[in-house]
Amino acid sequence: MTFIVFDDQKIELSDGQTVLSALLDQGFDIPNSCQAGACQTCMMQVKEGEIPAKAQAGLKDTLKAQGYFLACNCTPQKPLNITACNAAKMRTSAKVVAHDALGTDVMRLRVKPAEPFTYHPGQYLTIWKTETIGRSYSIASVADFDHYVELHIRRVKNGVVSRWLYDNVAVGESIQIQQATGNCFYTHGNPEQNILLAGTGTGLAPLIGVARDALQHDHSGAIHLIHGASTVDDLYMHQTLVKMAQLYSNFYYYACVRKAERVSLPVTGESIQTIMMSVAAVPAQWKVYLCGGPNMVSSLKKAIFLAGASMKNIYSDPFITSHSS
Amino acid sequence: MSSLYERLGGEAAVDAAVDIFYRKVLSDERISNYFDDVDMDTQSAKQKAFLTMVFGGPNNYSGKDMREGHKDLKGGKMDDSHVDAVIELLGGTLQELGAAAADIQEVAGIANSVRDDVLNR
Repeated sequence: MTFIVFDDQKIELSDGQTVLSALLDQGFDIPNSCQAGACQTCMMQVKEGEIPAKAQAGLKDTLKAQGYFLACNCTPQKPLNITACNAAKMRTSAKVVAHDALGTDVMRLRVKPAEPFTYHPGQYLTIWKTETIGRSYSIASVADFDHYVELHIRRVKNGVVSRWLYDNVAVGESIQIQQATGNCFYTHGNPEQNILLAGTGTGLAPLIGVARDALQHDHSGAIHLIHGASTVDDLYMHQTLVKMAQLYSNFYYYACVRKAERVSLPVTGESIQTIMMSVAAVPAQWKVYLCGGPNMVSSLKKAIFLAGASMKNIYSDPFITSHSS
Repeated sequence: MSSLYERLGGEAAVDAAVDIFYRKVLSDERISNYFDDVDMDTQSAKQKAFLTMVFGGPNNYSGKDMREGHKDLKGGKMDDSHVDAVIELLGGTLQELGAAAADIQEVAGIANSVRDDVLNR
């Protein structure tokens, strides 16, 4: 017999009882469905303690690394301190240390959080303009090497938060940010695996985060990054990526533009999907990261899956534009 | 005697089958339109639950769940031909994984047992 601590409340477990069953017995309204470790509805996160392997079976590596587990498959032998998945996440203040234009309507924002801030490059955090108005941005920096958190902000027409960040926030000021989340990030343990990264617009930010994280950790497999944009001017990290490709022999960069009139190598007028399918023709063992416009993400995801990539190895982050303005 | 689920290879077999089966479903013109607008991660998790059930594994899926899950689907009204297609693809998946013919029959039987729930009749 052991116990769990759920959001600071101690709950006894009978022998062989699952965390989900104990919580339901106590009257907690825990979302759940199949109770067989398949539907992942009852996912929770551990704060302290050891999760039995069975409770993480079938979860993506990135979720495992963050301590997520399935309550219905979790019969702990020792005490566990856990929290519901969607518990209100903490906000902290962060000082703006850089605010630079990168392209026609994209800027690079670098902030230094006031408190220790843990994240994986490629995850996203929310910037809060006010108590209730916030927008999420993906992280391009690498915690182990950069002394700041880097975000790429596209100036959205009528965008409440992006326009405020662009026009009103200056270096030296503090903004409110919220704990990083998301499962689009590099996981260790498979240094030889080939990686495909494809995205449009500022979907490049998490991809650069993942690529740099992998390279800084001596990833030896090939890393192919494809950035799609409307025009050459929108390839806002072009020079940096060209240099990265010269510096690392296993890093490859492809730039695709829809309006190909000014195309010069290494920029191509071919579609992201065409390039993706030619570099990853047999993607069964590849890890794939897709970020950016939702339609592009879903069509690339389907294409790479049908070509043989495993669902477990496909990480995607569709950028949903807020409709409220 | 070992159970169907054990003979098929348990959870590892379900994990191996889910990508193969889902790929077949997405590529099959008879039924792929039902899957055009669904989130692939969610769908993959549901396929896993479905495969666990028809492989005779531990699950809590009921006829009611099958009924609820197939109500109001985009892509038009379903009939027996769609269920037949799914059972056929299930058989093809198991064949690829080297399952015995008798076990494939048994899986088809379990899948067939929820036919009326799926078709809401």
